[in-house]
Amino acid sequence: MLTHRRFRTALALALAAVIVVAGAAAARADETCNSPYVTKLIKGQEDYVYVWALGVEGVGDGSDKLVTIDVNPKSKRYGKVLNSVSVGSRGEAHHMGFTDDRRFIWAGGLAEPKIYVFDIGTDPGKPKLVKTLAGMADKTGYLGPHTYYAMPGRMLVQALSNTKDKGGRTGMALYNNAGEFIAGYPMPTDGGGDGYGYDLAVNPRKNVLLTSSFTGYDNYMRPLGDLVKDAEAMKRFGNTMVVWDLKAMKATKILAVPGAPLEIRWSLKPGDDWAITAAALTSKLWLVKQDKGEWQAKEVGTIGDPTKIPLPVDISITRDGKGLWVNTFMDGTTRYFDLSNPEAPKQTYTKVTGKQVNMISQSWDGRRVYITSSLLANWDKGGGDNEQFLRGFRWDGKELTQAFEVDFTQEKLGRAHHMKLGSNALRAAPAK
Amino acid sequence: MATRRATLLLAAWLAVAAPATAHEPATLPALDFVPPAPGTYTLQRIMAAPDGEVLGLDGKPQRLATFTRERITLLGFIYTTCVDPDGCPLAYRVFDAVHEAVAAAPALRERVRLVTLSFDPARDTPPTMQRYAGSRARQGPVPWLFLTTRSARELMPLVEGFGQDIRYTTDRTGGTPRRELAHVLKVFLIDADGFVREIYSSAFLYPRAVLNDIETLILEERR
Repeated sequence: MLTHRRFRTALALALAAVIVVAGAAAARADETCNSPYVTKLIKGQEDYVYVWALGVEGVGDGSDKLVTIDVNPKSKRYGKVLNSVSVGSRGEAHHMGFTDDRRFIWAGGLAEPKIYVFDIGTDPGKPKLVKTLAGMADKTGYLGPHTYYAMPGRMLVQALSNTKDKGGRTGMALYNNAGEFIAGYPMPTDGGGDGYGYDLAVNPRKNVLLTSSFTGYDNYMRPLGDLVKDAEAMKRFGNTMVVWDLKAMKATKILAVPGAPLEIRWSLKPGDDWAITAAALTSKLWLVKQDKGEWQAKEVGTIGDPTKIPLPVDISITRDGKGLWVNTFMDGTTRYFDLSNPEAPKQTYTKVTGKQVNMISQSWDGRRVYITSSLLANWDKGGGDNEQFLRGFRWDGKELTQAFEVDFTQEKLGRAHHMKLGSNALRAAPAK
Repeated sequence: MATRRATLLLAAWLAVAAPATAHEPATLPALDFVPPAPGTYTLQRIMAAPDGEVLGLDGKPQRLATFTRERITLLGFIYTTCVDPDGCPLAYRVFDAVHEAVAAAPALRERVRLVTLSFDPARDTPPTMQRYAGSRARQGPVPWLFLTTRSARELMPLVEGFGQDIRYTTDRTGGTPRRELAHVLKVFLIDADGFVREIYSSAFLYPRAVLNDIETLILEERR
């Protein structure tokens, strides 16, 4: 963590300068899909992609790690791994999120209730593990922290499971930025709620928090081949989204969205008040918006051929709310949907970008797209299909052109999962 | 209920108030949702408000805790040269609206104070803060304190303790590199025991919501 003395010195230097010019507004959007409370958007060229990678036994140290990759084309190390920070254990690394001031990344694994805090503000090119929060299970009974969503001075963490029966009943845990637990919020199990959780996303202007639903530890840690043959287990997936009063943190409406709705993206266009999600098992796009004052969910599109279970896993909305990238894991395909009419998305482009693809992130201007390969350790493909990579692409509006690749197996880094972008301009204090 | 009256007064004030000459020609953002009623929700204890030495307009050192205890406190960091419309000027307009509404509500006016604290001690000396405050710096029934610090050394624990992010950049677009100071607006609602109970960003800083939160804390104290 940035030391008090160093920060103080930097502050003193800064304040000694006479010229004090501008304040920065709180961000209402993100270069891809972060919390609207995350500030300091990278609107130019990003310098780094941070990849949260699952450890693989026998590969490197076998532990989960945060990998920093140089993605600035002007750099001599463009497309190269700069460093990695191992957490010393393997816990099904999955997602991560910035604190509101973007000085820290919180990350965690689905197989454990731990949360890792990395300092990326002191030296954006060299993250440092500064804190491990291990008390979530004791405080809440929740297991598998998934989404890390910045709130002002706080982090709202959506979990996927629980330590009692390792099923899908779970909830959200709220921490302050120092990592102190504040409160837990169980997912609703009444009024049509199924108790499952997955992603969360806030629309501050409407005082609305949306959550989606996946499945519990006993399913997501099970080999996918076994799971799909177990009809009873396949019933234990979420079929709902929940509308919450953000201020009160109370569920106000349960929306029926069958087939495990996963990532939630609010349109970033000012004035828009709708969100979109993809249901993994049914391969459908769903729109959430107000109709006659009531929040409603509406199926608005199909992703690929649902009978072939393409498994849409991640989506990334463009900054103008008019385009949506969708990665389908099973067929390794990256798809672009025209969202000009969010009531009727149209697929306008597809490209096979890997033998298996999962997460997708884009730069603020949409010209650079990054794709990783791993879904879950026990759901990834086997043999030669088990590619593990970060691939960087250029997007000219018509064609994705691969610019670089980092082979995570060759580099002994494990399975590449979630990504966040970094920039030297976001250094919290001047370098010495 | 008196605080309901405060809300009505706030609405009326927002409709007719003239902009303060030096600070806020723009209007406040409209509230696009119906906030939950006071007392129907819980404001969590986010963290303890930090303490440190500050300077009042008279230049005398005092403990910040003097101004974050006993009353419910709305505290915001500013610097007097800030011009970002979503930054300090927005906070100023919201503080104005809250102050007027609280002053008009007998049930609130003895329970609330406002604190504006500079994070630019090099420029924002007590006399500068006096000019910035103008007629707002008054003790009255609803105190509004304008504070600064003697130096970065004394400011630092407060900035870090509140989690008020400040960033330094160097503008090289001109002939001479200029060091710039940027921040992200945060306003802190502190209960009478000195705990931060809400943090507002510009995306969630509405006078009506702040008043509801103040009323919620008062209702909590009565339980």
